[in-house]
Amino acid sequence: MSTMTAPAPAVEAVNLQKRFGQIHAVDGIDLALSPGRIYGLLGPNGSGKTTLIRLLTGLAHASGGEARILGTKMPSRKALGTIGYMPQAEALYPELSVGENLGFFARLESHADRSSIERVLDLVELRDRKGTPALELSGGMRRRLSLAVTLVHEPEVLFLDEPTVGVDPALRVQFWTHFRRLAAQGTTILVASHVMDEADRCDELLFVRSGKVIGQGTGAELRARAGTDNLEAAFLVLSGLDPEGNPIEPRADGAPGEGESIGGGGPMAGGGRPGAVL
Amino acid sequence: MSPSRILAIARRIAQGFRRDERTLGLMFVVPLVVTALLGWVLKDTKDTVVDVVIVNEAGAVGDRVVTALTDAAKQPDSDIALTATVATEDEAVAHIRDGTGDIAIVIPSDLLATVQAGQRPTLTVISAGTDPAAETGRFGTLQGVLADIASQLAPPGVTPPVIPQVERKTVYLSPDASQVDVLAPIFLGFFGYFFVFLLTGISFLRERIGGTLERLLATPVTRFEIVTGYSLGFGTFATIQVIVLTLFILNSIDVPSFDLPAIGQHTPAFSLGLGVASAGSPFLAFAIALLLSLGAVNLGIFLSTFARTELQVIQFIPLVIVPQALLSGILWPIERLPDVLQAIAHVLPLTYAVEGLREVMLKGSDLSTTVVQTDLLVLGGIALFFVALASATIKREVA
Repeated sequence: MSTMTAPAPAVEAVNLQKRFGQIHAVDGIDLALSPGRIYGLLGPNGSGKTTLIRLLTGLAHASGGEARILGTKMPSRKALGTIGYMPQAEALYPELSVGENLGFFARLESHADRSSIERVLDLVELRDRKGTPALELSGGMRRRLSLAVTLVHEPEVLFLDEPTVGVDPALRVQFWTHFRRLAAQGTTILVASHVMDEADRCDELLFVRSGKVIGQGTGAELRARAGTDNLEAAFLVLSGLDPEGNPIEPRADGAPGEGESIGGGGPMAGGGRPGAVL
Repeated sequence: MSPSRILAIARRIAQGFRRDERTLGLMFVVPLVVTALLGWVLKDTKDTVVDVVIVNEAGAVGDRVVTALTDAAKQPDSDIALTATVATEDEAVAHIRDGTGDIAIVIPSDLLATVQAGQRPTLTVISAGTDPAAETGRFGTLQGVLADIASQLAPPGVTPPVIPQVERKTVYLSPDASQVDVLAPIFLGFFGYFFVFLLTGISFLRERIGGTLERLLATPVTRFEIVTGYSLGFGTFATIQVIVLTLFILNSIDVPSFDLPAIGQHTPAFSLGLGVASAGSPFLAFAIALLLSLGAVNLGIFLSTFARTELQVIQFIPLVIVPQALLSGILWPIERLPDVLQAIAHVLPLTYAVEGLREVMLKGSDLSTTVVQTDLLVLGGIALFFVALASATIKREVA
């Protein structure tokens, strides 16, 4: 089920690059994410997931290539109104209450009606904490508030950077139920994660390593392509490692994962960080 | 007690410093810069020439004093210059008001008679009264010259040479004005500037490191909106601060002694507030202090770019505050600073604020005065400049 045939991608990247000095944090990524689908962005720490999201949202300037959101080239202030971005950091005002944090960001999005705020408060189950300063919330509650802030203006495209870190399993299920509902309403969602059991909740996965997409497809497709029955092993194999994370010797010339997926491809930089992948 | 644990803690601090080169740098560089600056100011402070105006009420006798003073002023290393000889005190006061004279000396009509009667003559000396420290220095210079002249002019047979008594008058304030009266305008400018800068710097740094700035930038908000919002938010508190400080400086409430029967004591009576009389409009003084604070808000935002931790913002204090305290005319008149430092003084916002506040609060100048107009314009310009500078540091790319 290739996304290439989808008519108008909600999120597009063409040869997107970001260099920090000698480091290629994002190394020529091409993407076309269809509306109303949930994409999982999987890769080890430092693989370029966050940089990719920052390029797509226009928070970082690309060193090369371009990103488009709903057809608008980024960075674009206008397009930002259609984006919801949940950063990895909590990014809340600790001295403001739950309601005040929500109200503040809602006003910046010109979306400060009471019903929007009540809706997201219910969603993250923080209605009874509305007056509590963010400072006094538990880690999981702050995560929930951070998500609520991201959703308050009903964005069409959602970028969630590790949204469920520190969220208990029951609430995590609820988060995903809601993501699924948003997708059904047409919201495009890109979730960066390294939690494998979440990966299978996504419609499609993007494996990222060293700033490149090394595989794209459904979980089942990626597993089949790697010839393994679990995603973690699939990632390692597509990274050019064996299922235990050891470099394959002699190294294969063509990366095993290179297939019909967009972008990525090419021999992987060998050596990586065996065992520390996900 | 475990020495190894103590050493572990000490080591941890050293390791932290090794990673925090900025703090380490500031720790050595800042005191050196500040000390060097202080040394420079103290060593190279210029002896400025005192512009003397003579009020000659004594006719021919006075002319001899004028001639003697003129000769003294012509000496190659003379510290005085004779700018004008006038007939009345009012004319001398006008010279001091328009800045063409620093100090005026009145030669009384009864000078000759007094001296011949063997009595000490009284000379009236008029100065602006707005800067007692500088004026005392000028007065000392003049006194030395006068003592020489007195011995030259002493009529034959009068020994020892008469040393005149001096009566001081001031154009502004009173000759007995306390240091508080003179420093009040500076309090107003300095504290507003200092606290606003510090609070904004730390607050904006928290936006940067806490991720909220990144989150703000992922909304359609513009940089200008952020900077203006900050100016408005902190400006409001700066306004309240300036109002409170202005009220405290200008008013004084006497708090009487209260008996405390429980302990058989009574509280001492005291007064709250400085009770300084502002010669000019408190609103104008307030406007100057507010413009200064708005500049400080945006300076804080700008400098927060260069800090990674709150500790580092605090390290900027000596760099931002101390040079302004030394150079803005608070401690030394700007014209006595070495030339290079004078040039620096003229780009410091506090220089204009101190000048404007002194002008308004001590001299009673209003908006029609060129100095006040200039100071307001420059302060407004500096505030706008810092707004632009602060905006420029808020990029969509927050690395």
